[in-house]
This record gives sequence, structure tokens and C-alpha cells, in this order.
Amino acid sequence: MLFRERVMKGSEKSRLIEQFASRFDSFVLPLLFIALVVVFSILSPAFRTTFNLVSTLRFTSFIAVGAIGMAFCIMNGDFDISVGSMLSLVAVIGSSMLPVIGGVPAVMFTLIFASFLGFVNGVFVTKLRIPAFITTLGMMFIFRSFAYIYTNNTPVYIQNKFWLFIGNGKVAGVPFAIILMLLCYVVAWLLLRKSPFGRYVIAVGTNRDAAVLSGINVDRTEIIVFTLVGLFIGIASVIISANLGSANPGMLGQGYEFQVITAVVLGGTVLGGGNGNLWGAFFASMVITYLKNGLGLTQVDSYWQFVAIGLVLIFAVAMSRVKFTVLGQKEV
Amino acid sequence: MVKFLKLYEKIGIFIFLVAGAIFLSFASPHFLQGDTLFNVVAQGTYGAIVGFGMTLAITSGGFDLSVGAVMALTSVFLSILIPFIGIPLAILVSLIVASFVGFINGLIITKLKVNPLITTLAMMTIIRGVALIVAGGRQIVIHQKVFMELGTGKTLGIPNPIYIMVILFVIFYFILYHTPFGRHISAVGSNESAARISGLNVDLIKIAVFGLVSFTAGVAGTIRTSQTLIGIPTMAPGFVLVAITVTILGGTSLAGGRGNLWGTLFAGIFISMIYYGLNIIGVQIFYQMLSVGIVLILALFIDGIRNRYLETLKAKGLKV
Repeated sequence: MLFRERVMKGSEKSRLIEQFASRFDSFVLPLLFIALVVVFSILSPAFRTTFNLVSTLRFTSFIAVGAIGMAFCIMNGDFDISVGSMLSLVAVIGSSMLPVIGGVPAVMFTLIFASFLGFVNGVFVTKLRIPAFITTLGMMFIFRSFAYIYTNNTPVYIQNKFWLFIGNGKVAGVPFAIILMLLCYVVAWLLLRKSPFGRYVIAVGTNRDAAVLSGINVDRTEIIVFTLVGLFIGIASVIISANLGSANPGMLGQGYEFQVITAVVLGGTVLGGGNGNLWGAFFASMVITYLKNGLGLTQVDSYWQFVAIGLVLIFAVAMSRVKFTVLGQKEV
Repeated sequence: MVKFLKLYEKIGIFIFLVAGAIFLSFASPHFLQGDTLFNVVAQGTYGAIVGFGMTLAITSGGFDLSVGAVMALTSVFLSILIPFIGIPLAILVSLIVASFVGFINGLIITKLKVNPLITTLAMMTIIRGVALIVAGGRQIVIHQKVFMELGTGKTLGIPNPIYIMVILFVIFYFILYHTPFGRHISAVGSNESAARISGLNVDLIKIAVFGLVSFTAGVAGTIRTSQTLIGIPTMAPGFVLVAITVTILGGTSLAGGRGNLWGTLFAGIFISMIYYGLNIIGVQIFYQMLSVGIVLILALFIDGIRNRYLETLKAKGLKV
């Protein structure tokens, strides 16, 4: 807080630091990404091929799309750690419908079903007033066990053309998953910045009581946010299961919640709610995916990747703490 | 009604436990035989032991998701160390390593001011990674059969893990309810800033609590390793759910400040009874996870209703 007082007095140096802190996310992440790509390109010839760079971008969509819903959720002051299991459950149920009802209806069904699961989470969180992370912790295990029970722990193989197209197809030479991801981000950005709903989300996350008093239907906002989480998880589940050509109830989405939360927090959205940064989440997803890809291609043991991403998450949160101390804003 | 709620908070789980026991004794003729009963209790020891630590953490307003990973790390260390330095020393070193993880958790949470949930979520991944790296991604078999006595042996007809659970229960009970440190834990959980202002060293208390949680996870990991005689780097993937369910089902409030160790003890045994019941029906292992998840949601449901009711009372200006 001392620092804040110095800024008030108008010391030139502290003002510069403050400006740096407030712009932190908008230029550090792209810079970090470029540095990452340069380093790995030097280290690994396999990394710097166009094929690898494009296909890694395609894999980014898997994390980036899920990060949209999570960004809304964290801005709203909540958490959803059931997303990995939800991803697995909707993927196995949706893809098992394929032979029966065909491609387009199955994809629609997957999205609706995923939104419904998110809706259920939202109802539990709002109507019982249980902290979101613990409700979704319970749900995480319930969804995963339903996925196991439904498939009897055997993967579902996917042959439907339409479903596979979403993850692997190309439109005018650009992978469809990348187009879909950008489309999702544009829609989400409009929703967050150009609609009353976006304002409500940020208002609830910043100060719940104030939001209630100013007449916002907080419960409804929260339920819609959780439903949105579900919807984007539905999209991500179609993308990843199409990429892999199968939906495995045990493997799919293991540790996914972790990557998605890392992406959102690294992207500059503050835990505890309030304003956030949607494009930051996008860049952070790129950083995470390329980091994993690069570590893999430079033959780093895959177990070290766990460690690396865990450290990135702690680093990201600690950095945002430093930033907010410097700016003298609300504590997390 | 308030009296009823208070009573429920204290002994609610005990009623569940008795109801469950009556149900099971009708469902299975073997349930009431001494050996089966002891086995059910012995199977409940992991949940209860880690639940003791988790009870302290939740009472202090914290939370630890890394317990399953710490169990795995302990298991790996044990299996590597036992051939070199003998069983007692290996257990000691492994428990120190486990507690050290909690110490790091506490440092990150208090000194870097990172949210406990995120810290332990990240540490969960990191520690799993470390366990896999140390073990080289393999399971390591322990050849010293004596070690098995710890987890499967019996003393005076009672399985050894039960003794360990009771000893830890007594220690934790003493710590939480009969030492200044225990009062401080509750104080930090009820109102952290008030605790800080009244001169408590909040950071130190939190670090100690996270150290204790990891220590209990280490003990549970040791027992489980001795039962299988294998060091498993991927041990106990869903265990954190059990530990948290046991704590909340036992009546410890998520809001912090009020821990219920008796409840945790009984809830640990209750979960084990559910497993036993599912075994009788003969369903697949996935249903175990499902049932624990559902029990957690139910426990939260009750906790939520209770808090809501108490809030209404407070709003009316009644003393609760």
C-alpha cells in the first residue's frame, strides 16, 4: 500500500512501474509465446516445421475453447473443476449416439447435454450456496464414474464423417478446429463486452452484494455462466474426440481442468472474480500447448511436463498477486 | 431447531453409522462377525487418517487437494529406501518428505499469497510428476516381507492400522481441542484478519497445518504401501475426494472455524461400510467413486441447508 501512496504523490518512476503492471498481460504473454517458439525452434528441428506449428495450433483449440467458459466462471467469482470429467462423459455419450442418430444430431445432442450438465452444476452452486469448487469436485467424480459405467470402460471409436470433420477437417486449407476456436472467441468477446449479461458477470464477480442490491439476478447469472462452461466443454469434447478418433472414458480430459484454469489465470483473469481477460486466456492456451509440444519434441520426460505446467500455474497466480499489490487493487 | 442442528453437527454421522451397521447386518450374515467388522474399520483408516489432517486444514479455512499425490510420493520413497536403510528409517524419511511437501504448500500459500485451492491443485500435479520421475514411471516391488506386518498384521486380534488410526486420533484430538495451537487454528478459520490483529502468527499456523495434512497423507500412504508391498507412483488417484467427503460428512463446517474430529473418525468408517455394502452387491469398482461423490453432494446439501437456516435466524436477530 505504501507503493500506492507514492503513486498518488506522483513519483515519475512509480507511475512507470504502475503502467507496466497494468499492461502486463497484454504484452508479456505474446512476448513469452514468441520467446518460447524461438527457443524450441533452435533446440528442435522437428518443432520448427510448418506442419508441427499448424497442428499444435489445432491442438490449442482444445484448451482454448474450454478456457472461454472457465474465464466466465472465474470472472464471476467461481470455479469449475468438473470440466475434465464432464468432457469425458459428454464425449462418450455423444459419440456412442453417432451410429443411431447420425452426425449433426449427435453433435447437437452433445452440446445440449454438456450445457445441461453445466446447468445442473449451476443449480447446485446457487440454490444450495455451497462453494463452487467443492460442488464441482463432487461432480468431477460423479461424471467420471458415469462415463466409466456407461461405456464399461471401453473406448468408443468414431467413424462419423461430420464429427471427425470438426476436429480434423480443413476449410480453404485452414483446419476447421482453428476457425471454430476463433469463432467461439469472437462470440464470447461480444457476449462479455457488448451485452448486458457480460456486465452482470463482471459485476457479480467484483462485488456480489452490490450486484444483488443493484437488482441483478445473481443466481440466474451464475447458472447461465455454469451452463456456458458446459456448452464450451461440449464443443471442446467434440474437437478432441475427433482429433483422437475415439472417446476414452478414463483417459479423456485427465488433468484438463488444471490446464484450463492455468490458461485462464496465466491469461490475466484474477482468481476471486471481477474483470478478466479473454484474449489473455487465448494466448495463454497457446503458451501452454506449445510448451507441452516443445518439451515433448526436445525429448523431455513427459512426467516433467506435469511439473512444468504446475510451476507455470503457481508462477502465474503469484505474478498476478504482485501486479495487484502494485496497483493497490482488491485482494484475492 | 437450533438445538437439533447443533446436535446433528455433533452426532449426525454417528446416527448414519448405526443405521448403516443395522442395514448391513441384515443384508449380510457375515457382517457382524468380529473379523469382518475389524476389516471394515481397518479399510476405513486411510480415509479417517487423512480426514484428521483435512479437518485441521478446513478448520483453519484452508484446503488441500494434494493428499493423494503425497500418498503416492510416500509410497515411491518407501519402496526405494527400504532396501538401503531398513524399514524404520525409511518410514521416518518418507514421512519427513511428505511433511516437507505440506511445508512447501504452506509457504506458497502464505508467503506468495496464492489461493490454497490453486496451490494444492498445482502441487498435486507437480508431486505426481515428481513421484513418477523418482520411480522412473514404474511400480517398485518391495521384497522385505516384514514390512507387510504394519498394514496387514494383527496385535491382540485387532488389525494394526486401527491402532495407528486411534493413536493419531488421540494426538489430533489433543492438538485441536486442548492446546493453544488448536485454538489458534479455529481462530484463523473463523476470522483471519481478527486473528492477525490479535497478534497470532497466522502464517506460521497455516504452514504448520499444511505440514500436518501432508504428514497424515504420508501415514496413509505408508499403510497402503505395506498392504500391497508395491511402491505405486500413481497411487490413490481419487483419494482427495474421500478425504474431503469424510471431513464434511463428519460435520466440519466448510466455512472454517469449527472442526469435528469425532465426526471425521466415524465418517471414515462409514465410507468404508459403503464400500463393503457395494462389494456385497458385487458391482464394479466405478460405483465406489460414484457413491462417494453422491455422499459428498448429499453432505454438502445438508451443510448448505444448515447454514441457510442459521443465516435466517441471525437475520432475525436471534443468537445462534
